[in-house]
Amino acid sequence: MFERLSKSLKSFQQDVDEQVEEPEVAEEDDGPSLAKRAKSYATGRVIIDEEAIEGSLTELEHALLQADVEINVAEEIIEAVRSEVVGEAVSITKSPGVVAVRAIRDALVEVMGVGQFDVEERFAELPRPTTVLFTGVNGVGKTTTIAKFAHYLEGQGYSVVLANGDTYRAGATEQLQEHGDALDIRVISHDQGGDPAAVIYDAKEYARANDVDFVLADTAGRLHTSHDLMAQLEKIDRVVEPELTLFVDEAVAGQDAINRAREFNEAAEIDGTVLTKADADTSGGAAISIARVTGKPILFLGTGQTYSDLERFDPEVLVDRLLG
Amino acid sequence: MVLDDLGGSLRETLRSMRGQGRLDEDDIEAIVKDIQRSLLKADVDLDIVMELSERIRTRGLDEEPPAGTSAHDHLLKIVYEEMVELIGESTVLPLEPQVILLAGLQGSGKTTTSAKIAWWFDRKGLPSAVIQTDTFRPGAYEQSKEMAERAGVEFFGDPDAEDPVEIATAGLDATAEAEVRIIDTAGRHALEEDLIDEMEAIEEAVDPDVNLLVLDAAIGHGAKEQAREFEDTIGIDGVVITKLDGTAKGGGALTAVAETDSSIAFLGTGETVKDIERFEPSGFISRLLGMGDLQQLAERVERAMAESDADPEDWDPESIFEGDFTLIDMRHQLEAMQNMGPLDQVMDLIPGLGSNLKDQLPDEAMDVTDERLMRYRIVMDSMTDDELRNPSDIGASQIERIARGSGTDEEVVRELLQQHRMMEQTLNQFRGMGEGDMQRMMKRLQQHGGGGLGPF
Repeated sequence: MFERLSKSLKSFQQDVDEQVEEPEVAEEDDGPSLAKRAKSYATGRVIIDEEAIEGSLTELEHALLQADVEINVAEEIIEAVRSEVVGEAVSITKSPGVVAVRAIRDALVEVMGVGQFDVEERFAELPRPTTVLFTGVNGVGKTTTIAKFAHYLEGQGYSVVLANGDTYRAGATEQLQEHGDALDIRVISHDQGGDPAAVIYDAKEYARANDVDFVLADTAGRLHTSHDLMAQLEKIDRVVEPELTLFVDEAVAGQDAINRAREFNEAAEIDGTVLTKADADTSGGAAISIARVTGKPILFLGTGQTYSDLERFDPEVLVDRLLG
Repeated sequence: MVLDDLGGSLRETLRSMRGQGRLDEDDIEAIVKDIQRSLLKADVDLDIVMELSERIRTRGLDEEPPAGTSAHDHLLKIVYEEMVELIGESTVLPLEPQVILLAGLQGSGKTTTSAKIAWWFDRKGLPSAVIQTDTFRPGAYEQSKEMAERAGVEFFGDPDAEDPVEIATAGLDATAEAEVRIIDTAGRHALEEDLIDEMEAIEEAVDPDVNLLVLDAAIGHGAKEQAREFEDTIGIDGVVITKLDGTAKGGGALTAVAETDSSIAFLGTGETVKDIERFEPSGFISRLLGMGDLQQLAERVERAMAESDADPEDWDPESIFEGDFTLIDMRHQLEAMQNMGPLDQVMDLIPGLGSNLKDQLPDEAMDVTDERLMRYRIVMDSMTDDELRNPSDIGASQIERIARGSGTDEEVVRELLQQHRMMEQTLNQFRGMGEGDMQRMMKRLQQHGGGGLGPF
């Protein structure tokens, strides 16, 4: 993730340095600039003025857009950087570019770090059986994520049962069952066309009767524009009362990530997001957009096709890697 | 639908400039800014956006509008032409025997798309088959088999086999009688080297006529890299954009088209096998510019009519142009309408109606309208043949009986009768305008501009 943005940020730092240290001076209009320079020498500081970095900020905004950061979110980040940096007095021994990049770092950490919590601690504290509901649009990888999650929880010493709440899509039952067989985990499912809430409810009952720690509940993929299916999701949320709801989306998603994240969060409030297909993606902007619009943390990344390809999302590490 | 926002915002900017005889640099800049922002919001690649806006800017300033054309119309034409240039023609898919290979990322919708394309060719009179080669994803075989059943097409797959290349070649032998064979493959992305190699092996073994890249409408700038990799590996002849019934605009697909120097073949607009449309660039852009999409609407209407035709009662859609418009006709109309798909999608296609009217409706209005159609049909089921043929003779006591019989209330029955009267009136306006020529009828509808759905 963020490979491309990382490159852009390096050139951004250089740009700012060049622009601020050698402000472009129109030949006939060197008065103010001379005065400024004189002042810099006298105080040992340069002031980062807006005009000098405007071009660099536009470049930065383009870089964010190319990294799939949603356009309004990108503008907010630029605004944050601008207000942080413009007018800032920087010692001439320091690089204004470094100051600007630090401002970007802060802005990104603030957006991406929103609401982060200690996942393992939270899992330990939640009442048993703990129902985790997975929501998201079609094809983002909910079922695969559930299988990975089951594997992860078992690795932590918890027992797990899977509930197939996708009673709609052809092949959904077989898909989850095959994962269940491979992981040797019980799968509760009903016939196709059944009531998803009832399946998950049954799985909770099963977990209660058999002292199983976690119920991982799959749901049918749905587009946020389908009123019927979003109403059904609301109902599932109301009836099942999950301890944790995780929104699953793919890291390759572009500008629309923000719309669906918002709608899903409204229908069945989420506690965090899992971003899948992170191994396919070089941009990573979806992480920024989704965290911003939901105000909920990105918790995990799906990074491949095997059960162990589930990584904890650490915003600080990511941002630092980004700014390399 | 696609690029809706661009349509809305652009329409507004252009409208504000309508009366002007000349557009100055600032006017053009304002339009270019609108276009840029909308395209960026639609996930179109930044470089493409910049190139496009530069061309519109240059042409807008350099070209003199021809005599008799307002500056506004001229700029509209430039925008239109440049958009056509950007989006390209639709992929050529002759109606003849062929093998089509589908490729794409995990979860982009290949399996659903393979059944849809098979259904599409099948409906055009070419018996089709789906060959499922995804041996990796659990449940892929079952999903594909069931979707093929729903599409009413032949299916080949082998849940116990492990080599996709073997399944593909065996599948071609087994489905030799089908004229169009669609080969579905496992999802993979550009950075999975072994899977990309596997893709190459499948392509070499089956030597398909057409390779289609299936892309989720929501994909971002990653589309470029993915498209390039698939292009380098197997060569891409066309792109299918899926999940366009969401809010994603599909700009990533435009990037892919540019990157693979190919075109858009199909659009996926829903979860059933019928939710597929052939990509029509001119219609697509007309819709985008708020001019409606006559061609696609006509196609949908004709298809829906054809389905109602198969009705045992042997109803002739053109009979509505002759004699009385009865409740029986109306019921067929409603059925035809439901066959066309969700109302909001149909409305998108209607000139002068689409997004303008939809913007004014509350979100749930469309669903409610579908429900109401359903209720009408139930009410009509409780009417006698005589009542259906002569709705104007239905009196208060009959209304009471019909309401009771259909488990609705009298209000609904009256509403239905009122609706029938309205449709009858609208229809009278269309009578005598040629033998059921849908295209002309729709043009007529456009001239009546937003005057209501009429019988459709």
